[in-house]
Amino acid sequence: MPSHPLRVAVVCSSNQNRSMEAHNILSKRGFDVRSFGTGSHVKLPGPAPDKPNVYDFKTTYEQMYNDLVRKDKELYTQNGILHMLDRNKRIKSKPERFQNCKEKFDLVITCEERVYDQVLEDLNSREQETLQPVHVINVDIQDNHEEATLGAFLICELCQCIQHTDDMENEIDELLQEFEEKSNRPFLHTVCFY
Amino acid sequence: MELSSEDGETRPPHVVDMTTSEKVVELLNQAALTPTDEKLTMLKQVQELIINKDPSLLDNFLDEMIAFQTDKSIEVRKFVIGFIEEACKRDNELLLRLIANLNMLLKDESVNVVKKAILTLTQLYKVTLQWLVRSKAVSEMQEACWDLVTQMKGDVLALLDSENDGVRTHAIKFTESLIITLSPRTSDSDIPKRQEGDISLDKVPKDHSYIRYDVLCEEGKIALEKLLKFMVHPAISSINLTTALGSLATIARQRPMFMSEVVQAYETLHANLPPTLAKSQVSSVRKNLKLHLVAVLKHPCSLEFHGQISTLLLDLGMPQSEITRSTPVPREQRKRPRHEQYTEGKKVKMEPTLIEDDEDKEEPAPLSVPKPAAVPVAQSAIDLTAKFLHPLLTPENVANLVLISMVYLPDIMPASFQATYTPVESAGTDAQIKHLARLMATQMTAAGIGPGLEQCKAREDDAGKEEGNEEDSSAKDLLIKRKVPAVMVGQAISVVGGYAEKVPATETPTTVKRLPEPILPTTQTKMAGVSGRKKVFRLSDVVQPLSDTQIEKLTSKAVQRILHSEKAIAQTGMSHVRVKLLSRLVTQFEGMMKEDVLEFILDDIRTRSDLAFSLLYQEYNTYLSQLPTGLLDSYDHCLYTLLSGLQEKPEQRDGLFTKLVLEAPIITESALDVIRRYCEDESRVYLGMTTLKELIIKRPSRQFQYLHVLLDLSSHEKEKVRTTALAFLKRMYEKDQLREYIEKFALNYMQLLVHPNPPSLLFGADKDTEVAAPWTEDTVRQCLFLYLSLLPLNHRLVHELASVYTEAIADIKRSVLRAIEQPIRGMGMNSPELLLLVENCPKGAETLVTRCLHILTDKVPPSPELVERVRDLYHKRVPDVRFLIPVINGLEKNEVIQALPKLIKLNPIVVKEVFNRLLGTQHSEGSSSVSPLTPGDLLIALHSIDSNKCDMKSIIKATNLCFGEKNVYTSEVLAVVMQQLMEQNPLPMLLMRTVIQSLTMYPRLVGFVMNILSRLITKQVWKYPKVWEGFVKCCQRTKPQSYSVLLQLPPAQLTSVFERCPEMREPLLLHVHSFTPHQQAHIPASIMAVLEAHKKTEPKPVEPVMEKETVPVAAPAVLILKEAPTTMLREPFQQDPAVTKDEEPMEQEESDPVIQEEGVNTVSQVELARLSETPSPPPEPAEEPMETSQPEPSDFQEPEKDVEAEVIGPETGSSQDVE
Repeated sequence: MPSHPLRVAVVCSSNQNRSMEAHNILSKRGFDVRSFGTGSHVKLPGPAPDKPNVYDFKTTYEQMYNDLVRKDKELYTQNGILHMLDRNKRIKSKPERFQNCKEKFDLVITCEERVYDQVLEDLNSREQETLQPVHVINVDIQDNHEEATLGAFLICELCQCIQHTDDMENEIDELLQEFEEKSNRPFLHTVCFY
Repeated sequence: MELSSEDGETRPPHVVDMTTSEKVVELLNQAALTPTDEKLTMLKQVQELIINKDPSLLDNFLDEMIAFQTDKSIEVRKFVIGFIEEACKRDNELLLRLIANLNMLLKDESVNVVKKAILTLTQLYKVTLQWLVRSKAVSEMQEACWDLVTQMKGDVLALLDSENDGVRTHAIKFTESLIITLSPRTSDSDIPKRQEGDISLDKVPKDHSYIRYDVLCEEGKIALEKLLKFMVHPAISSINLTTALGSLATIARQRPMFMSEVVQAYETLHANLPPTLAKSQVSSVRKNLKLHLVAVLKHPCSLEFHGQISTLLLDLGMPQSEITRSTPVPREQRKRPRHEQYTEGKKVKMEPTLIEDDEDKEEPAPLSVPKPAAVPVAQSAIDLTAKFLHPLLTPENVANLVLISMVYLPDIMPASFQATYTPVESAGTDAQIKHLARLMATQMTAAGIGPGLEQCKAREDDAGKEEGNEEDSSAKDLLIKRKVPAVMVGQAISVVGGYAEKVPATETPTTVKRLPEPILPTTQTKMAGVSGRKKVFRLSDVVQPLSDTQIEKLTSKAVQRILHSEKAIAQTGMSHVRVKLLSRLVTQFEGMMKEDVLEFILDDIRTRSDLAFSLLYQEYNTYLSQLPTGLLDSYDHCLYTLLSGLQEKPEQRDGLFTKLVLEAPIITESALDVIRRYCEDESRVYLGMTTLKELIIKRPSRQFQYLHVLLDLSSHEKEKVRTTALAFLKRMYEKDQLREYIEKFALNYMQLLVHPNPPSLLFGADKDTEVAAPWTEDTVRQCLFLYLSLLPLNHRLVHELASVYTEAIADIKRSVLRAIEQPIRGMGMNSPELLLLVENCPKGAETLVTRCLHILTDKVPPSPELVERVRDLYHKRVPDVRFLIPVINGLEKNEVIQALPKLIKLNPIVVKEVFNRLLGTQHSEGSSSVSPLTPGDLLIALHSIDSNKCDMKSIIKATNLCFGEKNVYTSEVLAVVMQQLMEQNPLPMLLMRTVIQSLTMYPRLVGFVMNILSRLITKQVWKYPKVWEGFVKCCQRTKPQSYSVLLQLPPAQLTSVFERCPEMREPLLLHVHSFTPHQQAHIPASIMAVLEAHKKTEPKPVEPVMEKETVPVAAPAVLILKEAPTTMLREPFQQDPAVTKDEEPMEQEESDPVIQEEGVNTVSQVELARLSETPSPPPEPAEEPMETSQPEPSDFQEPEKDVEAEVIGPETGSSQDVE
């Protein structure tokens, strides 16, 4: 077992639903976790598919909450957005962009392939310094509440397993294979260096 | 305390000065005692204090800090490593002290510590190099430090082969950094800002006192080589692969001179993703590849590789538009100039790379590079081949290629293919064909084929000649160039598995390539990288040919393992596969395996019989497949070993032996020998012969060969073997197709008997040479066993025996006679053939025929047919009376009587046998044989024999034999005999002898005898001198009863009596005196006169009285006899005349032949008799004792007989005359 707790980052597109759900569970389980989005903006569903609510990453959850309550409290209560934002604001104040974070992690978990690509692109574009490795794993999760909850548990289980390995780097490959079989979904996995 | 008194402004500085050192001490002290977490915090504080805040303290506390490198906690140790890094960066001089500690930690037992150490070394390597480069004068310490760092570098590179994935990952990153450090930075290098100050090769002075530029340069290339090689390992993990891909991208961007190698490595990898990757891993790797390709593409120097990269990206699914977006705008500048800048010495080598592009090709001339050709070899080889292929890729050809390669497709679609397959969008376009040509050219070049390669080779050779003087530079490139071939080989194996054999061919060119070229690092390194990868696949590199003994040992062990996996395999139900495998293996290869397997089978043949059979069939199969030249040796050996093995085992009743023999495709000579041995083993004889029998019946094509074995055994010395064989043969004899062969064999064998000495054949040797040894009973029998057992089945064979018999020597004859009893008896007297034999009786076979007759009639009375044949033989051909003996009871009464004189002249033993037969005393069940003569008849017949035909002595002996049979000759029988004899006229010569003898045996017959005597008087007995003599003797013996008889004699005869026996007178006189006067009155005076000596003869009237008196005396005897006498009395009367009539002519005929025969027959009568006796149950004592043991009277009679005989002899003539 690694002598220090894993430093985990959970990344989705807007740092609202999937990454926050996982963030919530992981932090409850005692992980050193942070969550991020990779998008250029934070997008939340709007009254129509082509009319999303768009915020920048500086907007706090609180502000978004208030904004939506103001726009259509009933709609956003019904589709669970308010509930989600309410939870989010209790975890941290505002969404964070992965590309802007210079902290070093042991493990980065992304929630969809596009996000994974963006994370890799970002990590690879950074200048290497310490050459410390960071493993990036993509777990595909559909962007809805139910899937987010299920995905969060899966991520949590995965992290726990990784945390419990004697030598994470040596065993992660095999572990992921097992997980793929168990969960019946493919994981993208790579390693990058700080 | 003082401090506390001071306030405000003074305090801060004080605190800083005083407390930094103090604080460090305190923290260190605490850290030593506290648990890990806090310890780390404290140590971090210390580090902060002594490195950043007050570096002057660093030196002081260095030892204390380093002491924590042995801490139990991994984190603490990692911290120490971090501290070392920081400290060394802060003060390079500390490297001298700390590098050894880092080296220790590099070998820590925890992988995490090791990983951290690798990371630190990555940094410190650069730091050390920089530090040394800067130093004007390098001290010994520094030199040692650098040596150690170099050594550590080597250690970390070696960790590329570590078992730990993470360690390998770190080693890759270290390698990446090393390559960049040990290669010159050029103007087109992408330099991360942070690393701008980092050392690189171009900053190393070529005249440094200790660090050697060229060595470092070489090391850098070696590192790249290693990395490339590592990347093509077929079992590389996806993480390592990802890492390596990233590293290559970094290298390509920071050191564009290596771009060619990197792009080619990407190309190769794309075509040959490791087969071990899972599906999702393939996706990940491809994603990475795409990412890194784009990164490389963005670099301005990628221009010349644009075609390759964009093809790859297209294949990876990137839209063309995106590719275009990532492509840098071509700069005016050529890359060459840039390259030239960084490598002053190696400028020359850059050019070849450029040659690749069409545009570049023109350039060599302007450039000062003298040897453009050498460097680009590998690449241009691919290009050339691709060009060569391009026009050939017509739709038809391609279709054919596809069809052909279908055959080689794996059964299951590899994950990598599945993941990477994208429909070919631009199929059929020129671009696509070019791409295809290039792909194929890559593979072909790797496999060492194609026109491009040949041309390049030729070019290289030329180049090599030219560059002869540039030895030093070429030496540096040696390694790199060597790898070129390796790359090719690797590709060949991974892509075109079937071409593996061609690897050796490619090797030659590779080794040849010691390019003395000034080195174009780009191309060459590229090749090296690729080749590094491939090398893993290169079987011939890794594999040494095994020595013969090793091979043998290994194969043998392999077979052993298969052998002994019996149970395990049986559980899986795949035993048949194992069996098949084993038998195939063993028959295909020579050597000890075969023995091992056979031994294994024999260990437990019952359960391993399937293997045995499989092996056997396989051997036979091999033999068949090699026809017509094939040898059966191997098969023979296998069969022989199995059968012999079975023989050595304790007997098993599972019939495996039989099964093996019967199911074997061919029975070889040696196998037949084993079967024979089986048959000779008494405990298995039955099994062996049953098997043999089956063979004979079921393998008609060679049945005579097998039959011969069985026939051979029929004369085996062991009885059990022999009898069993005979029993089997008898059964087989019933089969028509075998009969003739068996018969011939039997006869041939019997025919051996005509040899004067037994042929060696009988002693086991096969040659028909004669051995000097004489025939023995055993050897004779050996020749006869089979024959004799067939005889009862085929009576016709008996004639063969007769013909052999006549030719054989006496010893053999004797043995034959002894041997034939059983079979002859088995044939029975009704056998026509036997009768025929008797009838024909070949000359010289008389004894044989006689013997047969004896055997036949030994227990059973002769049949009329037999009697007829014998009689016929006797009368018409061989008048030897001995023939008659066996059938004597079948003859007519008169025939017997006729033969009697001759019979009783034979050897006493024979005579005895004859009498036994006639009297029925021979057979225990004698009742069944009805003798033609009653005992009375016999005795009478004896008395009736003409003394001309037979000497009296023989007759007397014959009668004596009769008297010997007390059981037969009872008093009644004798009485009748006497009665009848007395009635004969003339009286038989031996009459009174018989009377006296009867009386001796049965004293109570005295009354009867008196009667006889009286009647003899009436028959004027005195006219027969012999009889008279006996009469007197009789009277003498029977006194006083005979007195009355005597008194009946006429006076003259009475006188004669007294003359013979004077002592009789007185008692008789007294007897008369005892009479009453009345009685006395009846005595004639003449008699009285005689009685009273010299008186007149007695008066006649006495006679009636005498007669009266005798009547009462005789009465009891008559009474006793009652009826019997009457019947018996009649017969003799009737027959007598016949006898006498026949006798006369018979005798003359008979006598001559008998005498003749005596000489001819080598077998004496004695022997015959003895032969006949042996089987008879009651062994009869020899003749001599018999006579002495006769009834009491004989004791004193003995001397008499001779006297009588002598007396009678001469008289016979006279008596005849009288008649």
